[in-house]
Amino acid sequence: MLNLTRNLELSFRKIDKPLYKAYCNASQGKHDEFKALNIRNVKDHSHSKRSVKKTQVLPPRTNQMAVDQDWGSVWPGPRSFHPATVPLPIRQGYTEKGAPPPDKYANAELMKIPNFLHLTPPVIKRQCEALKQFCTPWPKALDTMEKINKHFPIEVTSSDYCYSGPSIRDPMARIVTLRFNLKSLNLDDRAKDKFLRLVGDRYNKETDLVTIVADRCPLRKQNMDYVMYLLTALYHESKKIEPWEELKSQADMEYYDWTKHASKTNVEDIFKCKFEEIPGIDKFSDAVSEYMNEGENEYTIKKYGEAVRTLLQLPFSKEITNKPL
Amino acid sequence: MNQFILKSIIRKLSSVPKPIQIEQPKELDSLIKTLELELRSNEPAVLKSFCKFAVTAGNHFGLESKSWSLKKPVHERYTVLKSIHINKKHRVQYEKRTYFSFVQFNKLTGSTADTLLEYVERNLPESVALKATKVEVRELPDHLT
Repeated sequence: MLNLTRNLELSFRKIDKPLYKAYCNASQGKHDEFKALNIRNVKDHSHSKRSVKKTQVLPPRTNQMAVDQDWGSVWPGPRSFHPATVPLPIRQGYTEKGAPPPDKYANAELMKIPNFLHLTPPVIKRQCEALKQFCTPWPKALDTMEKINKHFPIEVTSSDYCYSGPSIRDPMARIVTLRFNLKSLNLDDRAKDKFLRLVGDRYNKETDLVTIVADRCPLRKQNMDYVMYLLTALYHESKKIEPWEELKSQADMEYYDWTKHASKTNVEDIFKCKFEEIPGIDKFSDAVSEYMNEGENEYTIKKYGEAVRTLLQLPFSKEITNKPL
Repeated sequence: MNQFILKSIIRKLSSVPKPIQIEQPKELDSLIKTLELELRSNEPAVLKSFCKFAVTAGNHFGLESKSWSLKKPVHERYTVLKSIHINKKHRVQYEKRTYFSFVQFNKLTGSTADTLLEYVERNLPESVALKATKVEVRELPDHLT
């Protein structure tokens, strides 16, 4: 048995050595050398001294900078402050009274604050020039606000948000506001009245603006479509005349219209002509409507009295006008 | 002849669609009356620099641009006990200050606004939040006139 194994081993050795080595498990190379055990802990000179590598510190880059260098290529992007790259004698930080603030080397204060060294005026100009190819000019004919409001009466307002947060989506970005002048819709009196009733407090009387805010849908596009739908629906609904709207009589009117009341016919009877031809009728009709709409107070009564006197060409009696009412 | 027939059959059975040129409607540029940036930060110096940058960029694009800022920051304070449960009279107060400034551009087209916003937002420094409000003007829809 032993013989057999020996023979086998010998025959293996005869095989090409590299092939044998490749399949061999034994460690290759110096397997005969053992490390001597150092009992007394005598220092071996070959291992004792480790050469200390000196890191080469280059002088600051600012020493070699030309005066007319292109700063934009030295500092191309946002980066925290580096003293050896910035050729400016900057000082920053708090010290005891009398001492100057610490200089730029190893100054944490300068590194903390975000700097704008990559956005110097010539760099901004260069970048803007490159970006201008994507821009289009504002139409020259639309130079004043009146023209803009006349041709483009609808204003749609929406917001984008950009901040460092856990999400890039902000739920407030979905809100869309529609604003327009009521005059631009060209509604008649009846339709306007109905429109204002439908709109409610979304109408501002002083500026004549209607503001509709949509925030019920999850996306901005949906809200935009919804707002335009609302505008269309409001417009057509206010134009529509329902059968019950015909039943509205003079008593149901919410305001006093002088041309539809007895006062007008009475004046016409007195003067025996149409009311447009009577001099001073505008003042009178205004006074009467104001009296009826606003109610009885010092101002309306005085105005009414003056209007009647001018209409009938009566003298203004001094006693009455001077008397406090 | 045979090859020709084979080719035509293959073409009929192939699932690769023929390239069809679809005419897309030309997208009209929108008109933006004002573009207002609301910037908030806890560092007024950074805010000042950024406003200057935004206004300069707007001027280079040929827009009317202006900026202003609120004089007083918003202080958000909260007061807590110094020790967790006891000594009610001894408290500490923490405070967050938010400074506001605004930049406004007038009369832009949609493409200009997109370009400008992209440029400005990409250069937004750390610790600054931006809210861009666009006021777009539109014609009355055809069915309302």
